[in-house]
Amino acid sequence: MIQTWAILVDGYRELNSKKLFWITMALSLLVVCAFAAFGLHPAGYSALWFKFDHAFLNSRVIPPEKFYTFIFASIGIPVWLTWIASILALISTAGIIPDFVTGGAIELSLSKPIGRVRLFLTKYCTGLLFVGLQVSAFTLACMLVIGIRGRSWEPILLLAIPIVLCFYSYLYAMCALIGLLTRSAIAALLLTLLFWILLFALNATDSVFVMQRERAKAEIELYTNREVSQLRLAEGQLRALKEMGTPLSDENGKFPEGLSSELEVANPMLASTRRKLEEAKVSSTAWTRRSAIMTDVRTVLPKTSETIKLLERYMLSPDDLKLLSRQQEYKSTGVSPADASDEPRYVSDQQAAQMTEDVLRGRSVWWVLGTSLGFEAVVLGVCCVIFARRDF
Amino acid sequence: MDHSEAVATGVANGAAIDVRGVHKTYRGGVQALRGVDLFVKHGEIFGLLGPNGAGKSTLVKILMTVISPSRAEGTFLGGPVGYKGTLGRVGYLPEHHRFPDYLTGGQVLDFFGAMSGVPARERKRRAGPLLELVGMSDWAKKRVKSYSKGMRQRVGIAQALMNDPDIVVLDEPTDGVDPVGRRDIRNVLQRLKEEGKTVFLNSHLLSELEMVCDRVAIMVQGKVASQGTIDELTRDGRRYEIDLAYETETAGRHFAGMLTGGTEATQGAIVRVSAMPELEAGVERGVLILRTTEPEKVQPVLDEIRRRGLTIRSVRQVRPSLEDLFMRAVTDPATGETLAPGAAKKSRRGNGGGA
Repeated sequence: MIQTWAILVDGYRELNSKKLFWITMALSLLVVCAFAAFGLHPAGYSALWFKFDHAFLNSRVIPPEKFYTFIFASIGIPVWLTWIASILALISTAGIIPDFVTGGAIELSLSKPIGRVRLFLTKYCTGLLFVGLQVSAFTLACMLVIGIRGRSWEPILLLAIPIVLCFYSYLYAMCALIGLLTRSAIAALLLTLLFWILLFALNATDSVFVMQRERAKAEIELYTNREVSQLRLAEGQLRALKEMGTPLSDENGKFPEGLSSELEVANPMLASTRRKLEEAKVSSTAWTRRSAIMTDVRTVLPKTSETIKLLERYMLSPDDLKLLSRQQEYKSTGVSPADASDEPRYVSDQQAAQMTEDVLRGRSVWWVLGTSLGFEAVVLGVCCVIFARRDF
Repeated sequence: MDHSEAVATGVANGAAIDVRGVHKTYRGGVQALRGVDLFVKHGEIFGLLGPNGAGKSTLVKILMTVISPSRAEGTFLGGPVGYKGTLGRVGYLPEHHRFPDYLTGGQVLDFFGAMSGVPARERKRRAGPLLELVGMSDWAKKRVKSYSKGMRQRVGIAQALMNDPDIVVLDEPTDGVDPVGRRDIRNVLQRLKEEGKTVFLNSHLLSELEMVCDRVAIMVQGKVASQGTIDELTRDGRRYEIDLAYETETAGRHFAGMLTGGTEATQGAIVRVSAMPELEAGVERGVLILRTTEPEKVQPVLDEIRRRGLTIRSVRQVRPSLEDLFMRAVTDPATGETLAPGAAKKSRRGNGGGA
């Protein structure tokens, strides 16, 4: 335990000596200040001492504590800590393992009475210290802001610390492996960023596939319902046409082009709906297959975006999200949510996005965290085998 | 050999290091060690020397578990080679070590002391006196990046002593250290010996080793060429040198030749002195060399010199230096040329490489 603690303290000293660590901390403080400067009042919102009136962005529509939690869970963590602070963290920590295994430095550590696996894993943990300290400071500061400005003390915000650490640990495991293999901080940084971009691209592709699949499913449902109502309408029209003696086909018994039955002749919209239904079924089959393949591929890889989204899942209920997304919908379309028609004529992007969100939100925590941590464990296992067997 | 067996053997023979048949072949077939046998007693200062690439650092790294041997038997402080538990009783200063720049001298001692398993209170108690010992007290709170190479070596030695080790393994400890610093380090080593600790030195500075070492081993091309006390190793080369007063080199050879029965002694040839025929002698640069350690055997020769009216400028008992031993070890006896530096490459048949 003495050695483990010594390595962690040494890790802190190393971070403490890096300017980037304190720059990131200062930037985090600025972000929290900006967060605190923004507020809601009954007539609208305020930024610093300026007040603006707004029909929906006000404390009567959105409770201030929900507003702050939403900003924290949807912007503070995913944008600031997950992207910007994590890139700064990678820049700062990418060199830890390569520097550690460089000749002249490693001999002393290896010659101490500590097992190589424990030595490596503890050193790996010092790399996580950067993000651990940053996210802890940021979350505690945000908790204060939400408590004071939103008048709501929510311990669940602390969940951000393990979740962001978990997210960063996937990337840092890869960084450690590359650093161990190449002994180069630059290679470790660049290849880890590349790996992150790959994960991001796979996640985006998966979301697109899920959206297309859900859109196709919704279209099947929509066209099936429409077919039923149009069929009912066609039957009435067919009866009326027959009573009037209107011919439904030519002298050869052929229906007009594109129509295949008397019902379709009676209601040409039915044929169009049936065609669209068929197309939706074909599309659904294709997107379901693609989506399944993508899900399988992603199962063995770390799920960075979904891990961060867990925070939103635990902090905001679907109703909260709907309330806030309806404000966004209003912002983009200019139509008040109350004015929206209940009769769907097509599957809108907003609906598809909502369905996708529901599917992604419905993915199990085990799938998101379990498989990602499994990947991390395998990568760290490989690192430990290499580190334990290598001659330095 | 299991752990308990190794401990029993190590304790029984009083060895700090007793390794046999240490082999190390790197990937690519480079044979760094080709069966090293080494014995270091408790409480002695032991010097390991050899040319570059002889395998000295590889051997040290094997003992310190930095690299794993291809094959090794024996004990290190009573434990099997490679046993991590032993390392808590070992202090180590590697060659070309690099301490983290962000640490101060005091923090270096604290960190590496902690890595050796020394409790915090002990570390605090030991750091001050150790920094004092190596003359770095005033620099304890300055960052290592501001240190000179010699200062880093001093702090390195101090950190090696933080765990109050039974054996201190120092790889080139005087590298980059000025003469005053070297003397200080020698004093530290002597003090460690007086405290009953074993010191294992790996150095190129033969004169340094000669001054402090009780025993030495010379490694050449992955093998120990010779080992023992300096007395034992130099016994064969001890001699008396009689410098006769002469004005020219030729005259000197002539006078020396008179004593050996010839008209003029040839440089380097072994001759017999007529006054003591059983004694091997030679002449080098006009100096008569008698290959004996016994002063009684020299007296008849001195009498003969005086009888012939020659003047004796000096009579000296000479012992070969460590450098002489070293040069003898790295010289091919067949060709008289210095052996090529570096390790040997394993032959395709796997029966060891040539020198």
